Amino acid sequence: MMQQYRADVLVCGCPACTKAGASEVRSAFEEEIKRRGLADEIRVIETGSRGFCFMGPIVIVQPEGILYCQVQSADVPELVEETLVKGRIVERLTYKEPATHRAVPYYKDIPFYGKQMRVVLRNCGLINPQSIEEYIAVGGYQALGKALTSMTPDEVIEEVKNSGLRGRGGAGFPTGLKWGFARSAPGDVKYVVANGNEGDPGSFTDRSLMEADPHSVLEGVIICAYAIGAQEGYLYVCNEFPLALENLGLAVEQAREYGLLGQDILGSGFDFDVKISRGGGAFVCGEETAALNSIEGRIGEPRSRPPYPAQSGLWGKPTNVNNVKTLAIIPQIISNGAEWYSSIGTEKSKGTKLFALAGAINNTGLVEVPMGISLRELIYELGGGIPGGKQLKAVMIGGPSGGCVPAQHIDVLVDYDELAKIGSMMGSGEMVVMDEDTCMVDIARYFLNFLSDESCGRCTTCREGIRRMIQILTDISEGRGKESDLDLLESMGRIIKETSLCGLGQTAPNPVLSGLRYFRDEYEAHIREHKCPAGICKGLVRAKCTNACPAEVDVPSYVALVAQGRYADALEVHRRRNPFALACGRVCPAFCEDKCRRGEMDQPVAIRQIKRFMADHELSVPWTPRQLEEAKTEKVAVIGSGPAGLTAALRLAQRGYPVTVFESLPVAGGMMAVGIPEYRLPHDVLNVEIENIKRAGVEIKLNTALGKDFTLDDLLDRDGYKAVILAIGAHKSRELRIKGEEMEGVYHGTQFLRDIALGKAPDLTGKRVAVVGGGDVAIDAVRSAWRLGASEVHLVYRRSRPDMPARDDEVEAAETEGVQFHLLTNPSRVIGNGKVTGVELLRQELGEFDASGRRRPSPIPGSEFTLDVDVLIPAIGQEPDLAWMNGDSGIETGRGSTFAVSEGLATTRRGVFAAGDAVLGPATVIWAVAQGNQVADEVDHYLRTGHVEKLVVRPGYEVIEQCFDMEQYYKAVRPQARELAIEGRRGNFDEVELPLDERTIQEECKRCIRCDLEWLETMKLEFVPAAKRVLVQPVQPGLTEEETT
Amino acid sequence: MPKLKSLEELRTLRESLQRDIKARTETSTTITVGMGTCGISAGAREVMHAILAELEARNIDAHVTTVGCIGMCSREPLVDIQQGDEPRVTYGNVTTAMVSRIIEEHLIGGAVVDEWVVGRVP
Repeated sequence: MMQQYRADVLVCGCPACTKAGASEVRSAFEEEIKRRGLADEIRVIETGSRGFCFMGPIVIVQPEGILYCQVQSADVPELVEETLVKGRIVERLTYKEPATHRAVPYYKDIPFYGKQMRVVLRNCGLINPQSIEEYIAVGGYQALGKALTSMTPDEVIEEVKNSGLRGRGGAGFPTGLKWGFARSAPGDVKYVVANGNEGDPGSFTDRSLMEADPHSVLEGVIICAYAIGAQEGYLYVCNEFPLALENLGLAVEQAREYGLLGQDILGSGFDFDVKISRGGGAFVCGEETAALNSIEGRIGEPRSRPPYPAQSGLWGKPTNVNNVKTLAIIPQIISNGAEWYSSIGTEKSKGTKLFALAGAINNTGLVEVPMGISLRELIYELGGGIPGGKQLKAVMIGGPSGGCVPAQHIDVLVDYDELAKIGSMMGSGEMVVMDEDTCMVDIARYFLNFLSDESCGRCTTCREGIRRMIQILTDISEGRGKESDLDLLESMGRIIKETSLCGLGQTAPNPVLSGLRYFRDEYEAHIREHKCPAGICKGLVRAKCTNACPAEVDVPSYVALVAQGRYADALEVHRRRNPFALACGRVCPAFCEDKCRRGEMDQPVAIRQIKRFMADHELSVPWTPRQLEEAKTEKVAVIGSGPAGLTAALRLAQRGYPVTVFESLPVAGGMMAVGIPEYRLPHDVLNVEIENIKRAGVEIKLNTALGKDFTLDDLLDRDGYKAVILAIGAHKSRELRIKGEEMEGVYHGTQFLRDIALGKAPDLTGKRVAVVGGGDVAIDAVRSAWRLGASEVHLVYRRSRPDMPARDDEVEAAETEGVQFHLLTNPSRVIGNGKVTGVELLRQELGEFDASGRRRPSPIPGSEFTLDVDVLIPAIGQEPDLAWMNGDSGIETGRGSTFAVSEGLATTRRGVFAAGDAVLGPATVIWAVAQGNQVADEVDHYLRTGHVEKLVVRPGYEVIEQCFDMEQYYKAVRPQARELAIEGRRGNFDEVELPLDERTIQEECKRCIRCDLEWLETMKLEFVPAAKRVLVQPVQPGLTEEETT
Repeated sequence: MPKLKSLEELRTLRESLQRDIKARTETSTTITVGMGTCGISAGAREVMHAILAELEARNIDAHVTTVGCIGMCSREPLVDIQQGDEPRVTYGNVTTAMVSRIIEEHLIGGAVVDEWVVGRVP
């Protein structure tokens, strides 16, 4: 009798799934099914691969056809219970299609190929380049035949003119026009030259074409020769391309054998043959007249023009020079017609363009796209985006000559004129993508070094000028730059451009000029602040970690001290730049770890965990910050007791100033106290830090609000404060502006978190909660709601997962805690009768890119659906609360209601400064601390001198000896973070991240590769014992000399 | 090779070459290895030798040819397998260690090794 099974469980047994644990899963299924007495109803079968196994182990339940991925044996009991017994789907194990990546089988479906239009590259990678037969089989030399037997030379030229083809060597001169000049030049002896001398760094379009399809170039050359009346041609190829030379050589021989070169080609009476000329590999010989000199056996230097090669080229005879790519298109134009070609591309840039994608891009390689595609599509769709998820900074198109296209112009279309408009150029196709870790000063210097080597030396301004520009750039990158250097670079650049004979000199200044145009602030940071923001310029970057920290905490030193168990010393080093080690050890996003060089090897050093351990170890040791200067009488008021306010207060108190901090809330700490939930930062831990600061002599007045209990005028005029620092943070929640937002049951994000922190948490037991937003506040809100007993917690976000600003680990934690994500969804109105009963949501689709570089969501009409909820928490952004300002306080504000400040953090009212989120918009604790440090320096300077100027303080640093052998830690692995299990988190706000033990932490410290020691050696420096102050020119326009008394 | 004396002769040659290629692809297997400079620097020569050795050891009769760069340089060495009328399948990042499995499972067994496939040319 046939056994009737009601369900089959198919477990994939392919090697990939097996490696991921599939056989254990299969056994677990068999056991569980047997244990539950279901063995007669449900079969477990091992299957082969369906190609999805990068998500394995794969389990498919039939007959429903439910596909589960990444199944582990621990999941099996749940799967048996929920799916096989109750018929419910276990969502978390189903496949969630990521916004970008799918298993795509067909070429046309792979963005890399699907978006290409392969005209020049039609045969590349498909035929054997060493076989003329294969070329003929796919239609090769038909165009030549057509031209020779049914078209006159003038008709050929007309066709090329009408196609709109422009030279692909870089300059983009109309090809048909050029051929016409050569044809009409007087004389019987004429030449054709195919320029395959490719020298740009990052360029491989010519080489690749010559290697993969040499006949297409040859055919184009012969057609050109027929059109202009040449008898001889030269294929000019760098000697550095052995494979291209070999394949071209074979192609020429084979073409001769078939009579496609030589006498009476295809019976047409036309004679033509070619020679291969090997170039020395000089970049400058990409320029046509230099190439001609080289072919003639002379030094590759450009010639004065006029006369142009069409009049007087090789040996004084009319010559047509074209890039090999241009020539490879010709057979297609002849075969398919000018109209076909001109229908592709844009108005002024017809046809397709090759690009050699290189640099910080996933799909490095060669692509051919129709003109008019945007750079964004090229980089993100064909190119697959930037590796490591890093930010795009700029793209170098057209080699060093093209200058850079910054990320904000990434929607520019590939078109000769569009690119020229933004100061770039099409070039030969090289495209070097640069990410956030690129320094524009360094890149300019790199390219100028190349150009300096390649300069032939004929023109003085090019020869000497580039060298001098390199000297200036070197000075800037080593901290010896002067303010006047930037203007000098610009004027030198102009002169070199205008007085050089060839394209090399004429475009050499472009890397610098475009760098100054789009990244001037980066150059200025090098000059004014002696900082290299990208962390590249060796002279200015002691270590990438400390360079990346907004407050420039001396990371290498405190990590080295912790390695030795010297926690108190380590904490002291840390506190010199950041007094909040306990808090930051728990909540800092750790920009230092993002740039840690160890991270380039395996995993970054767990700096934040080390910081936490160090701070926790000394928790019971009260810190009384030292007084650094004598007591002063000038009183300073700080409004706001967040990290910016408290840090500023601390620094000023240490300098002897009497400081009072005014806090409107009943507790101190700002967002650290009322924004960050206790499961991330417990209040008792935070209070230890605040008590430390009070011990420095800082007075904190709680429950005292600006605008209610006192005004700025009171402080400055009545109460004798000499300076005020506005550090009021960004506590006001932005509104959704949808109907029903005022109903009972709608809590704004910051209000919700603040109520919880102040002990007034709403009772959410059994309630269904939806939070709108994708940032850290939204995630804090969902995770808090879950802890307060909500029966369902939903997160609604209008973009997709990769676009969420919240930290990845926080989003994952929310998922683990059972939050349901509704992505690409936005609320349209709140439903209810005075009290929330639901929210209407609209599905979104992603459209064009906006200024933030993300795709703009737009609602899909008719896609409304209702989510039944009792509580709605909008958390879509925060702003400083300016309700206390009544228009006459004299303080200007800017974007997002933040204060408009000078570079010295001074507001438009004399004596009033600002720092933290109130200036930056919602940021992070460490940024607020950095601003607190800065504003304290500025206020101190102002109180001493009456001036507001931007100060540049280069923090001092320690040199801690190395006490262990780094080699032993070459293979050491970063420890896993430890977290409270889910069951332990339910219903409470206990800290989720658990500390690591001492031994683990000390071992982790030893994975640090001490970039700072390497830097000392490189710089041959002695260490600097104390902070060095450098005064920079005043930058605040409002204050003149007269006003400062 | 006799010289082509007219366009007509070129056309005739083309047709006969196309017939030969068609006959070959319909009845046998072609293995194509990317041998542009990108492929060579990624190790395509070694992969090619491994393929030839494997075919010899298993006494398989397949046509092995080389091509230039198809553009996906980041995935070189690229190896294509074309069997009869089946779409031409491209494997990427091929190492010498992967060769025997591709030959065994795909060439002989007829099952494409999905996890290594880059794409199919229809």
